[in-house]
Amino acid sequence: MYLEIVSPEATLFAGEVSSVTVPGINGEFQMLEDHAPIVSLLQAGEVRMAGNAPIHEDFADRFTQGANGKTILEIKSGTVELKNNKVIVLAD
Amino acid sequence: MANLKEIRSRISSVSSTMQITSAMKMVSAAKLKKAQDAITAMRPYADKLTELLQSLSANLDGDSSSQYAVNREVRRVLVVPVSSNRGLCGAFNSNIIKQSVALVQGKYGDCEVEFLTIGKKAHDILAKRHTIVADHSSVFDDLTFEAVAAIAEELMEHFASGNYDRIELVYNKFKNAATQIVMTEQFLPIEPAADADQTPADYIFEPSEAEIVEQLIPKSLRTQLYKAVRDSFASEHGARMTAMHKATDNAGELKEQLTLTYNKARQAAITNEILEIVGGAEALNG
Repeated sequence: MYLEIVSPEATLFAGEVSSVTVPGINGEFQMLEDHAPIVSLLQAGEVRMAGNAPIHEDFADRFTQGANGKTILEIKSGTVELKNNKVIVLAD
Repeated sequence: MANLKEIRSRISSVSSTMQITSAMKMVSAAKLKKAQDAITAMRPYADKLTELLQSLSANLDGDSSSQYAVNREVRRVLVVPVSSNRGLCGAFNSNIIKQSVALVQGKYGDCEVEFLTIGKKAHDILAKRHTIVADHSSVFDDLTFEAVAAIAEELMEHFASGNYDRIELVYNKFKNAATQIVMTEQFLPIEPAADADQTPADYIFEPSEAEIVEQLIPKSLRTQLYKAVRDSFASEHGARMTAMHKATDNAGELKEQLTLTYNKARQAAITNEILEIVGGAEALNG
């Protein structure tokens, strides 16, 4: 599925991923291919994604590598929307 | 004919002015490029947020009961003019000031109007006659989303607590380097979105739809203010670039004219001298 992470200052990531885990306001949850449409608020925490889409080098320092080859981005708050296998994370 | 020395000193003063204006033009052009990139970079976020908010409010039936959407009788108004900290940018700042004053005298003639300024230029002028509740000119020193978001919080606080019944933004919208459009935008209360007849998607909401909208509204307000300030920042550099370009052109023209006058005067002086010598020689021979 397609993931886009946008912050007010730039589009941090855009590409294909196989799964993404976000810190929902009621607890962390993971989204996989063909997940039902969802809108959720996010709290401070980590967005973890699995996949091998390249990260733009300008923002590489915002991401860290986690266990199991996952890429991690710290966010303070945000919103996530998933529809038709397209995930948009608005990260603040 | 004017004094040769006088003309010479004018020529040199015009050329040094020209150097300054053309240097300022270059600097503005470089800054404009950066400012434009910043606008382009934030556009996806702003667009996605608006899109999301719209598709959600299309789902929500009836009016949202958000505290930021309450329409009260307008008695106290806060105008937020976004100007620049520096001058030499043509009519950029005076347009903003004119528009702000027009609001006070026209649309909100019967209301109590106060100002919260962003940018020193508007502050300096408006402070002479009007009440300024706060001045946030320092955001331009380092323009970040956080700094602008803090101002947006302050505005929301003012509105929610009932200090003001309406908050208006006045800023220059960036069209291109040569054109800025003075915009007056109602910041609060938020106006209901021009209704999009989208088919509501069957979303799972976490926590609840109303709560999400409640959270998204402040976010979109922060983004709206940030966008306005960014727009104004890019416009400022565009306006300065254009103004300095014109100034350089004018200085060049002036310099040409002065050089012509100088040469004429020099020629006249030489002719005079020759006449005197010839006259003197003839007198001796005669």
